[in-house]
Amino acid sequence: MNRETFITYVEQEQEALRSFLFALCCGNKDEADDLAQDTLVKAYLSSAGYQDKGKFRSWLFKIAHNTFLNHRASQHYTENIDDDRIKSLPLGGDGEGSYEDLYLALSTLPPKERSAITLFYLTGYSIKEIAQITETSEDAVKKQLSRGRDKLKEKLKL
Amino acid sequence: MNKDKSLEALFQAQKPHFTDSEQFMARLTKRLDAVEYIRQYQEQTIRRYKMIMVATFVVGIISGAATIGFLLSTPANVPLFTFHGQTGLLIWLIDNSRIIVSTGLAALMTLGIISIINNVQDIRQMQCEIS
Repeated sequence: MNRETFITYVEQEQEALRSFLFALCCGNKDEADDLAQDTLVKAYLSSAGYQDKGKFRSWLFKIAHNTFLNHRASQHYTENIDDDRIKSLPLGGDGEGSYEDLYLALSTLPPKERSAITLFYLTGYSIKEIAQITETSEDAVKKQLSRGRDKLKEKLKL
Repeated sequence: MNKDKSLEALFQAQKPHFTDSEQFMARLTKRLDAVEYIRQYQEQTIRRYKMIMVATFVVGIISGAATIGFLLSTPANVPLFTFHGQTGLLIWLIDNSRIIVSTGLAALMTLGIISIINNVQDIRQMQCEIS
C-alpha cells in the first residue's frame, strides 16, 4: 500500500478510530488523539504487509487496541492515581446518563473490558470480530462484555 | 449475546463528532514526513554499512593473500625484517619475525570478521526497525 492509498483510507476511518480511542481514554481528547497518531504511524510502517480484504478499519482498531494497552501498561502509576480520583467522583443517577457519567463509568473498567464494551456498543462489532481485534477467544470476549455491562449498568444506574 | 438496548442507546447518543479532522490529518502528514525521512536515512545507512562490509572483505582478502604470498615467497631461515641495532629485544623480534607477522595477520583477520559480524547485526536491526 502506498502513501496516497493509506492517506485515503485513513481519511475515511479517522473519525471512527478517534471515537474508539476517545472512549477508551474516557473522554480525554488529547490523549486519544496522541494514541490515534501513534496508531496511524505504526499502521503506516506496517502497511507494506497489509493485505487489502476490505477490513482496513478492523486492522486499524487492532493496532489501536494494542497501542492503548501498551500505553496503559506504561502509565500504570498515573492510571491508579486517576482511578482513585475518578472513583471519588459521584456518578449521575437520573437513569439517562450524561457524557461525563458514561466516560467516568467506563474509566472504572479494566482496559480489556473497556475495549470489548466500546467495540461492541460504540462501533457495533460482533463478538467474533472483537475476538479477532483483541486477539482473545470468543468466550473471553463474552465474559468481558458480561462483566463490563453489569458494572456499567450498576454505575450508571440503568 | 444480545445487546443491552439502554447501553447501546447511551453509547450512540454520546458518540463524539470531531470538527478538527483537517488539523488531525495535517499533524499526521507531518509525522509521516518525519517517518519517511528517518526511513530513508536508515536505508542510506544500511547501504553504507553494506559497502563498508564489502570493502572490508575485499581489503581483507587482498591484504591477507599478499601477506601469505610474501611469507611463502621468503626462505624459512631468513627473518622477515631486520634492525640496525643489536639489543636483546631486537634480536628476539628478528628471531621470531615469522610468528609476529602471522599473529598480526591473524589479529587483523579476526578484527575484520568481527567488523563484518557487527555490520550484519546492525543491518538486520535497522531492517527490523524499518519494517
